[in-house]
Amino acid sequence: MNAVITGSNRGIGNAIMHTFAHNKYNIWACARTPSESFESEINQLSKSCGVSIEPVYFDLADENAVKAGVKQIFSYKKSVDVLVNNAGMGHGGTLMMTPVSKLREVYEINVFAQIHMMQLISRAMTRQQSGSIINICSVGGMEVGKGYIAYGSSKAAMIWLTKAAAKELGEFGIRVNGIAPGLTDTEMGHYKSDEEIQKVFDRTVIKRFGKPEEIAQGALYLASDAAAFITGQILVIDGGRVI
Amino acid sequence: MNNIEKYNKVFMESLGVTEEQLAGLEYTGVDSWDSVGHMNLIACLEEAFDIMMETDDIIDFSSYEKGKEILAEKYDVAF
Repeated sequence: MNAVITGSNRGIGNAIMHTFAHNKYNIWACARTPSESFESEINQLSKSCGVSIEPVYFDLADENAVKAGVKQIFSYKKSVDVLVNNAGMGHGGTLMMTPVSKLREVYEINVFAQIHMMQLISRAMTRQQSGSIINICSVGGMEVGKGYIAYGSSKAAMIWLTKAAAKELGEFGIRVNGIAPGLTDTEMGHYKSDEEIQKVFDRTVIKRFGKPEEIAQGALYLASDAAAFITGQILVIDGGRVI
Repeated sequence: MNNIEKYNKVFMESLGVTEEQLAGLEYTGVDSWDSVGHMNLIACLEEAFDIMMETDDIIDFSSYEKGKEILAEKYDVAF
């Protein structure tokens, strides 16, 4: 099985890459910027797991670069069985303190680029009449709070888009699901202040950060045939924050 | 197989039509060329000609003839 994972050089995407490699997936590991440390990590992982991991570099904010990246993936002439639409950006700001330019920037990465990836990759899946798309959403798109106008609404959009795409692509044998992680122990998860983090713990049943590996296990399940009857769903992995 | 033969083959196989039906064939002109058939047709054309079409071109691809025009003008497919 072959998987495309965006944002695979850090955080949840990186954990998904490791988990998928250990479960014998060949991977196109997408990241924005080439780096020696990432390539060395990929080489080691590839060797230790006995799978192929190819780095593919492109900036999700650049439509032409995304197309070039997907063309590169298609040039391998392999099936594309899984797309994990993971890359995203965080942003905190109230309605009055979020410039429209920032909203556009957040939507560009968290929404438009994800749609573009689904449009392009689903073409290959349409030809195959099979595939699984997993969009990394967020409980931030479900739980309405102050100060997350851009991020929260972009993730809410992704939840709706995931369900709509599941309906549209189902006819081609493509399943589309999402994962809504809660506060996760990644660089992005730590962009909140300590006080904000404590407030989240206070309203969560399991009072800790989620581990990126725990989110990755959810992605592995949704990608697998064990989830063959699941589409249009959002798997919430948040320690009981949104119940 | 030349490009026109390849183009016709994709149409016939993905939409289940005969060669005689191709001239003048338009989107929704046969039951199989609905929105689902359209996506399947585009995916098969992309594979056959090793191209990646722009969304605007997928929308404009409204007939057998228009498709040829788009492929020739924008994707260097010589018919």
